[in-house]
Amino acid sequence: MQVHRMKLTLVAGTFFSLAALASISQAQSTDATQLYHRGLAATCANCHGTDGKGVLDGGMPLINNVTSEQMLTQLKAFKSGAREGTIMPQLAKGYSDEQLEIIANQLGKK
Amino acid sequence: MDRRHFIGQSTAAIGLLAGFLGQAHANLPKAEILVIGGGYGGATAAKYLRLFSNNTAKVTLIEPNASFVSCPLSNLVVGGSRTMADITSPYDNLSKRHGVKIIQDSVVGIDPDKKTVKLASGKILPYDKVIVSPGVSLLMNSIEGLTQANKAGVTLQAWKAGTETVTLHQQLAAMRDGGTYAISIPEAPYRCPPGPYERACQVASFFKQSKPKSKVLILDANQDVTSKGPLFKKVWAEQYPGMIEYLPKHNVTAVNAKTKTIQFEIQDEVKADVLNLLPAMSAGEIAVKTGLANSNGRWVNVNFLNFESTAQKDIHVLGDSIQVAYAMPKSGHMANQHAKVAAAAIVAELSDWEINPAPVLTNTCYSFVNAKEVVHVASVHQYISAEKTFKPVPGSGGVSPGPTTLEGVYAWGWAHNIWADALG
Repeated sequence: MQVHRMKLTLVAGTFFSLAALASISQAQSTDATQLYHRGLAATCANCHGTDGKGVLDGGMPLINNVTSEQMLTQLKAFKSGAREGTIMPQLAKGYSDEQLEIIANQLGKK
Repeated sequence: MDRRHFIGQSTAAIGLLAGFLGQAHANLPKAEILVIGGGYGGATAAKYLRLFSNNTAKVTLIEPNASFVSCPLSNLVVGGSRTMADITSPYDNLSKRHGVKIIQDSVVGIDPDKKTVKLASGKILPYDKVIVSPGVSLLMNSIEGLTQANKAGVTLQAWKAGTETVTLHQQLAAMRDGGTYAISIPEAPYRCPPGPYERACQVASFFKQSKPKSKVLILDANQDVTSKGPLFKKVWAEQYPGMIEYLPKHNVTAVNAKTKTIQFEIQDEVKADVLNLLPAMSAGEIAVKTGLANSNGRWVNVNFLNFESTAQKDIHVLGDSIQVAYAMPKSGHMANQHAKVAAAAIVAELSDWEINPAPVLTNTCYSFVNAKEVVHVASVHQYISAEKTFKPVPGSGGVSPGPTTLEGVYAWGWAHNIWADALG
């Protein structure tokens, strides 16, 4: 009898622990994805500033005053050739549409 | 199942779970992360380790210099249109704003077995992860007489921005009108592919204004101009006609400091008034000394997903020291991009997350063809998992159609932003 109760406790405990583990795994996955997205957006920071906050009057066009939607529209226009430029049309063509969307979501004005 | 067996199994399961719980975030704040070298790669890595860990990682940057001096744009100091102050930035924001511990010292040894780093001061620091970003070593012995000529002050390199950058300009300023400046270029790969050609433009721009009878001689060991070739050649013909002479396939083997004579593998020797000979290069000294340079003994092979050395675990190498992937230049911009991939991978690993399986790198390089006008080359490199390397994306990247002052403004914009991105 005593053994049976212990079994139940352990089974319940293990079940609870596995559920907790699954939830932690989910949290890790969200955090990891967020890290990948930050890393992707950081490819823009060399010219447009850390987290898209460029140096004021530094000489480079600022991107911190546009929404994510506006940014994505411009990035896609650079990629398609609809918008001309110096470097941006060449760089935008190197990213997938999904990557451009992630970048716009990361760097667009919140 | 008997009781003992069941309890044993359950305890193991709970122990495993506790292990997961304990490891989930504990390794990151506990880990000692050292960064060796505060250039474009190391400074960026130190800052982004803090940013990507939401300021939880313990990061120590070891750098011998008191402030950051940029190699990109230092050719404008050689040409005299800018000063060292224009290309120098402080390190203190890394500690004040980002909580990076900075030690002003040099690393004299890394012990991968004990996982320690030894400083010139004698201090020994333990590490869990170390990022090695030491730039390049100039292989002075690859040109006979170069070490002596450099010591005598006759043949400067000025390929690491600093006192030689200023002295080289002083030598050019002191040269007679009608004299010759010679720059030699080693076989690729070397630090900053377009750098020597940009420098030739800057020296010619200076000569055009202050000593127009003078000449610029480019002695290139390579078959042809290694970067932005058509653009540079057009500029030389149009802006500096008769002043710049380009000689490909000229591999310098020796220099005589007394007679200022340069010898080649094949061609007849030449004389110049100001000599600027760039020898072959390798990974930074500390990387070679630690046995990391497992590509021809010169460059460091890395796993491109996290920039970990393939020779030693937990040592990550960035920037000019690595064996590059196809069409990946040794540039400051690229080192900054390596740093972000490595920083994110280290944060992920120490958090027990999967490392980003698809990192991306970009490169942008602006070259000044005179004091104001600029041409660029740009590229995007995506990780190809099947080949375990980065490759430029077909159809992306490219060069300028020609030099413009607009790109001159953008070049300074790039500089101010990348300096702030690494140090601000």
